[in-house]
Amino acid sequence: MTLTIAIPSKGRLKEACIEVFTKAGLNILPPADLRSYQTTIAGRDDVEILFLSASEIARELASGSVHLGVTGEDLVRETVAHVDQTVDFLTPLGFGHADVVVAVPQAWVDVETMADLDDVAAEYRARYGRRLRVATKYWQLTQNWFGHHGIGVYRIVESLGATEGAPAAGSADAIVDITSTGSTIRANRLKVLEDGVVLKSQANLISSTRANWSDETRIASAEISALIKGARA
Amino acid sequence: MADALAEFLKSVAPDSADIAILQPANPFLETAGEDLRRRIFMTQTADGDDKCLRPEFTIPLCLHHIQSGSTNRYAYGGVVFRQARDGVDEFQQAGLEDLGHTDTTDADARCIADMFSALKIAGAGNVNVVLGDQDLFKAVVGNLELPDAITERLIRSFGSLDKLHSIIDGLETGEGSRSGDATALKLAKSGDLAALEAHVSGLMDEAGISPKSGRAPRDVAKRMMDSTRLNDFQLSPERADILRGFLAIEAPTLDAVARLKEFSVRSGVDFGETLTVFARRLAQAHGLGVELERVVYRASFGRKLEYYSGLLFEALDMRTGISIAGGGRYDRLCSLLGSETPVPAVGFSISLDRLDVVEKSAGETLAKGGVTV
Repeated sequence: MTLTIAIPSKGRLKEACIEVFTKAGLNILPPADLRSYQTTIAGRDDVEILFLSASEIARELASGSVHLGVTGEDLVRETVAHVDQTVDFLTPLGFGHADVVVAVPQAWVDVETMADLDDVAAEYRARYGRRLRVATKYWQLTQNWFGHHGIGVYRIVESLGATEGAPAAGSADAIVDITSTGSTIRANRLKVLEDGVVLKSQANLISSTRANWSDETRIASAEISALIKGARA
Repeated sequence: MADALAEFLKSVAPDSADIAILQPANPFLETAGEDLRRRIFMTQTADGDDKCLRPEFTIPLCLHHIQSGSTNRYAYGGVVFRQARDGVDEFQQAGLEDLGHTDTTDADARCIADMFSALKIAGAGNVNVVLGDQDLFKAVVGNLELPDAITERLIRSFGSLDKLHSIIDGLETGEGSRSGDATALKLAKSGDLAALEAHVSGLMDEAGISPKSGRAPRDVAKRMMDSTRLNDFQLSPERADILRGFLAIEAPTLDAVARLKEFSVRSGVDFGETLTVFARRLAQAHGLGVELERVVYRASFGRKLEYYSGLLFEALDMRTGISIAGGGRYDRLCSLLGSETPVPAVGFSISLDRLDVVEKSAGETLAKGGVTV
């Protein structure tokens, strides 16, 4: 039985991931056929590598159709139900850094913290005839974070792209979005709240508890995660 | 049991309305907030309207009532749907809502009395009731002459004791909000509202944010001025202790009025009309046969939902401590739902499934040879 590992299929994430694996002595072979999304690791016939998109990897981990996967913690925490029972975050990989943050317009000079936002949210309905609107694609993370800060009176506006433009477009008042350097947020004249970092995310090696595990795959998984941890140390 | 209960509710609350199982989701989310979304079952129609399985009866009944407008006492009963941690998602609920009744102490007293009777008929008369009153807390806070922003924050947090304590602690040590915008801070400190407003307006302009789409520059500037003033505000230990002292009050209702009067004398807090109303409500409930010795007044008892106002109560099974019924006053709900005139409203609901649990565990205890006390 082979151990299936899903890794990002394109761009910077793919390169960084292959680099980490190589450093750990795990050489991911180029696929035999250019159109193929399947390959293996040199000298490890017991491992199958699948190239998938970062969000597909989160989904496959949730369903257990892959044993291990490399993807962002943010995606997994957002999309996987009962996340702590479904997956194990084995090790952070040092790339794909991105923070999920709460940001408001810089023009809100009076709002610096979640407590300020709570005050502002409370008066929205009475003053403007509607709830404070928060644009995000991170429903779960937003609801948990706002709930944790005791903010209940707001509405989420689903945003599938260019979330940081929502306040200027008039479709939302604040946003919860991902940022790596903060430059897009600043360029849109928004600011991150002092205690508004919902999650400091990066790419992780993640295992799925739902996958079909055997003694062989368990051993192979332990070896591979040890090698990667060792290379990262 | 369920039939007898339904019959009783109908006899004291003759009005009824058909409440569909599938409801528009918006009224629930707009009133209870986004937090509710996780606890209800939502779906979308082909046209894109959000619908949900009814999570309760109160909001649909209020929406119905806003159309009819008269004074009504509605009885209801049926299944409601909420996401629960233990996996059970359907619950049987029965209760009544008293809408439009302007003699609010009378309505409150009848509501409590009817809940006791309903529980007795349902075979669950052995209850302890906890009762709280948001208006008394408001009176205490009002007496302290705090800045408006702080008053509002405290009142909004009533019902969450941890949050109240952390706010009080924070105020006593003198935490205040600040701004990362140095220009704004300077303008706020100089007290120049117009210049601050212009500054905010300029920032909105640069960002392409319409000053009409949400918070207006003036509102931002005003709140900034307020919070700059709050920076210098510190709650004196005496006043902090008044708040803490009030929140710690818990007494059998028969002694509650005396305790509150005693507190008033000690702290200098003038409850004014609210204590009179509180006492009258209890006296009326007593007159309707409510066994006040079963009712405990807890000053901090409330719910952190903006439409609740005044009275709140909860009935706990005496033996297991399980909450089986609860209710209270929610005068702000109909206005939130779009009523042009305010509608006084009070009601209670009974969790019928919990009655079964309580009954079953009582049966088990008996089978085991009785209760050891």
